[in-house]
Amino acid sequence: MTLDGTYEFPAPRAKVWAALLDPAVLGRTLPGCDKLEAIGPGEYRAIVKVGVAAVKGTFEGKVKLADLEPPTRYRMSLEGSGGPGFVRGEASLELADVPGGTRVSYRADVQVGGLIAGVGQRMLGGVARMMLEQFFTRIATEIGAAA
Amino acid sequence: MAKRFEVSLTVNGRPVQAEVEARKLLADFIREDLGLTGTHLACEHGVCGACTILLDGEAVRSCLLFAVQADGAELMTVEGLTPEPGTLHPLQQAFREHHGLQCGFCTPGVLMTAYALLRQNPNPTEEEIRAGIAGSLCRCTGYESIIRSVRGAADALGRR
Amino acid sequence: MKPAPFEYVRPRSLAEALEVLRQHGDEAKCLAGGQSLVPLMNLRLSKPGVVVDLNALKDLAYVRAEDGSVSIGALTRQRVLETSPVIRQRAPLLAEVTPLIGHPPIRARGTFGGSLAHADPAAEYPAVVLALEGRMRAARAGSEREVPAEEFFVTYLTTALEPVEILTEVTVPVLPPHTGTAFVELTRRHGDFAIVGVAAVVTLDEAGAISRIRLALCGVGPTPLRARRAEAVLQGQRPSQALVAEAGRVAMDEADPADDLHGSAEYRREMTAVFARRTLGRALERLGVRL
Repeated sequence: MTLDGTYEFPAPRAKVWAALLDPAVLGRTLPGCDKLEAIGPGEYRAIVKVGVAAVKGTFEGKVKLADLEPPTRYRMSLEGSGGPGFVRGEASLELADVPGGTRVSYRADVQVGGLIAGVGQRMLGGVARMMLEQFFTRIATEIGAAA
Repeated sequence: MAKRFEVSLTVNGRPVQAEVEARKLLADFIREDLGLTGTHLACEHGVCGACTILLDGEAVRSCLLFAVQADGAELMTVEGLTPEPGTLHPLQQAFREHHGLQCGFCTPGVLMTAYALLRQNPNPTEEEIRAGIAGSLCRCTGYESIIRSVRGAADALGRR
Repeated sequence: MKPAPFEYVRPRSLAEALEVLRQHGDEAKCLAGGQSLVPLMNLRLSKPGVVVDLNALKDLAYVRAEDGSVSIGALTRQRVLETSPVIRQRAPLLAEVTPLIGHPPIRARGTFGGSLAHADPAAEYPAVVLALEGRMRAARAGSEREVPAEEFFVTYLTTALEPVEILTEVTVPVLPPHTGTAFVELTRRHGDFAIVGVAAVVTLDEAGAISRIRLALCGVGPTPLRARRAEAVLQGQRPSQALVAEAGRVAMDEADPADDLHGSAEYRREMTAVFARRTLGRALERLGVRL
């Protein structure tokens, strides 16, 4: 599935860039993230417990950042697997100055497989959107708190 | 070892007493503990209908019930359609005559669903038969022969 | 695909059930009809530590006509709502929608309250209860509270119920005279979850104008939603094809669907307009108004 959208942060671009690429911040803001550690330059391993209501699962995954052009754009690839299934995806993010702050535009192509994709397919797109909202909202809180 | 619960129920008219783990599905209890393998498991999440049996006279998905929940209940499985060995219930006879099965995997669930349908509605229209068996998935027949079989069974039972 | 081990409790009273929930909080899941929970457990997408079987609480299964309303116990089996004379008389929309839910074996065990508490975004009952402006009673150890339908559905599979609460009853007000209701949904197969579903409750005044209108959508957002802007278009107006078409267009903009295997977001939005028109048309037909 393809996910795309924008999120606006009331903060300068350099700050937003720094937050998005800081593993400590990511560890705190990725929904359900139990553990995020760097395993190489721009490469991270994470354990994430995600779910909606009764449907919960633990995924172990890797995130790799690439094509960094600070503070404007970067690409990210992720893969994770766990009980409920697996996830693989590529995303590109672009940061732009807007009046009052920074707009982050993202576009992600994600494949989800396994049980969650078969049985949960109806809600995957919507839940993914919801989780992205949660993630960006938490980043905004982090940036606001650090200010 | 997991905690076990006592259950006491009636299956095809015979009393049954057993001890089960809470997570044992009713379908597995019927197949493994009682040796009644006519009830089949396919999707194990309620959409295919292969596991359908009667519980207290109603068609239910036995893969979506825990055996422990059947304490005190009266169950009927496909084996209960023919109380006398060597005979066929008119419903089974109709499926035989009208080729209502090929591999037979969905058939027990279809039979129990049809049995419940005909008890509630002895003279269903084709639309009512279609709606009544819509919860049973069949990979072989394309359903037309199943519908003819249910119609045939309704006719045969009506003549009795 | 068998469920993970769990502790099983079958309380004999509501108080007992609430005490178990109070002790275990979000480690416990209530088992009512099991038609949604057990599939999740069988696939191990859900692994509750404690399963609280509510099926011994026969006192929570009832349909009661009351002064100006009808109260439905949460453990009422869905098939009861298909045939109950009280429901047919006082909340015919519930009787109309029930045969569209799954198949007879599902409705034999599935419960009204369970469907509402599970809050599948494409489920029919939540949209209908929203259109009927129902009130939910949520009980916890020592107290209970009432939650109006419009506050009950929070997001995907999530309601205002806290882990220590059980939905015990839903009360639905009787509709005013000269009210027509209808529910129409788009599905690929009989019994499927709705790709788009619309519930309409239309009241006409003596002059033939729409004095009251409630329009609820399912399958086009994380929860069922009231199409309030579409309602505003209809409010006070005399029904006509053009008016209903306009309401459909406005409802389409209020829908917030996502893509999935059964239909793209764009398709669902388009179908929202089509089905809003059809449902309104049918509700009006039942009042003797042909557009």
